[in-house]
Amino acid sequence: MQKSIIALLLLILIGACNETEKKTDNIQTETTVAKTETAKPAHVYYASYVGGFEAEKMDPAQNGTYSNLINITISTLEDGKATGRSIIAGNDRPFNGTYKQSGALFEVNAAEPGDDKHDGHFEFTLDTSKLILTGKWYSNDKTIAVPVRKFELNKKTFVYNADNNFDESIEGAALYTGSESDEGSHEAVTKKVIEINASKQKLSSKDVENLYKGDLELIRNAIYARHGYSFRNRKMRYIFDGLVDWYVPMNVDVRNDLTALEKENIDLLKRYENHAEKYYDEFSR
Amino acid sequence: MTGITLQYIPYNTDVAFLGIKQQVIGMLHYRIAFFTHVYTALFVLPAGFIQFSPYVLSHFKKLHRLSGWIYTVFVLLLVAPSGFVMGIYANGGLSSQISFCVLALLWFYATLMAIISITKKDILSHRKWMIRSFALTLSAISLRAWKYILVYLFHPAPMDNYRMVAWLSWVVNLLIAEIIIFKFIHHAKINNRLVVTHSDRRL
Repeated sequence: MQKSIIALLLLILIGACNETEKKTDNIQTETTVAKTETAKPAHVYYASYVGGFEAEKMDPAQNGTYSNLINITISTLEDGKATGRSIIAGNDRPFNGTYKQSGALFEVNAAEPGDDKHDGHFEFTLDTSKLILTGKWYSNDKTIAVPVRKFELNKKTFVYNADNNFDESIEGAALYTGSESDEGSHEAVTKKVIEINASKQKLSSKDVENLYKGDLELIRNAIYARHGYSFRNRKMRYIFDGLVDWYVPMNVDVRNDLTALEKENIDLLKRYENHAEKYYDEFSR
Repeated sequence: MTGITLQYIPYNTDVAFLGIKQQVIGMLHYRIAFFTHVYTALFVLPAGFIQFSPYVLSHFKKLHRLSGWIYTVFVLLLVAPSGFVMGIYANGGLSSQISFCVLALLWFYATLMAIISITKKDILSHRKWMIRSFALTLSAISLRAWKYILVYLFHPAPMDNYRMVAWLSWVVNLLIAEIIIFKFIHHAKINNRLVVTHSDRRL
């Protein structure tokens, strides 16, 4: 009797084990299904389109930027409704609107929420056969430096790749902020920035102590650029928007995406940048 | 120079120069050397100006002696040894390490010779060695001046610049000191009564 009870208990136990295993299996397959569903866009043209966001009308009295790199990401074009977001110069704004379809062309008219002083509305055409997005943007506030901008963007998918780095074309590029107070402190990029990749190698003092401040800054900001960081800093925009072909502005906060190695290197680089900034051309050590 | 010292008051291991010395600031002996150096170096600069004042020497001999002793004790016991320890860990590699260590040794030696010669009442030697010692003391200022000049003129990479000024800071001073000694003290030797008493003694 006792033996059979023990056997019974064992059977129940084994049965229970099997059941839980099955359950977890089910959950796992369910989540993988869910994942592939969300990761796979319904259409190839639900994508990011990247290119210059150029001034069409510009107030010469204000210190505006002629062109910035913009990323317009289309989330949905369904039932006459268009949704997406634009990422530019450290500003990530959603938009909502309507569209009219004629063949492969989607003519979109969409507005940003309107609670930011740089909000406005878009009028653009998405050519889903060529994957080109062209159009204009009109600022709500007509008094800003550039109230109307035009753009022709190509589909570009953001992928983090630690191997991305500057190429030879960067050497000699001017580093300037565009503000008048900065005149005279122009610095040119040296080829050291090509040799060092702060997303891949652990940097020591020896690697960075002899670098100019501008180079240190680029090496550090290249880490953020690899993560698709959209720069507010104008000096960095001039470099990454115009001279780095793999760069796709995708995020306005990449702090949680950084690897441990990158964080360590950022601390070190920042240290030397601060030192160079304060003491390089001063009467001090 | 006062401004440079004041950056480290209150005690802080992550400001100014120390911002790029984090790899060695963890070592207790480096911290002791560094803070000894920055807090005491300030005392030897004014002492030197008092020492070279003929007015102080003729009218306030006691002040000259007191300030001289302060200078000597600070340099020999505090500033030069701490400078030597810092020199071992100098930025810029072997070249600047050698430069700063040699500077510390020469400075110690010149100051020691200056005090030994005056205790023997050998005023001429005392003057020569004090000129050398103070020329090396002034490297604290000339290092920073050279750095500023080189950056202004040539915009060198920061560590290349540092390697250059590490040597320029005291070698040029020492050459000037030797010229001063040759021009003024050597001439004085020929004309000065003091030297006559010396040669008299030798006779």
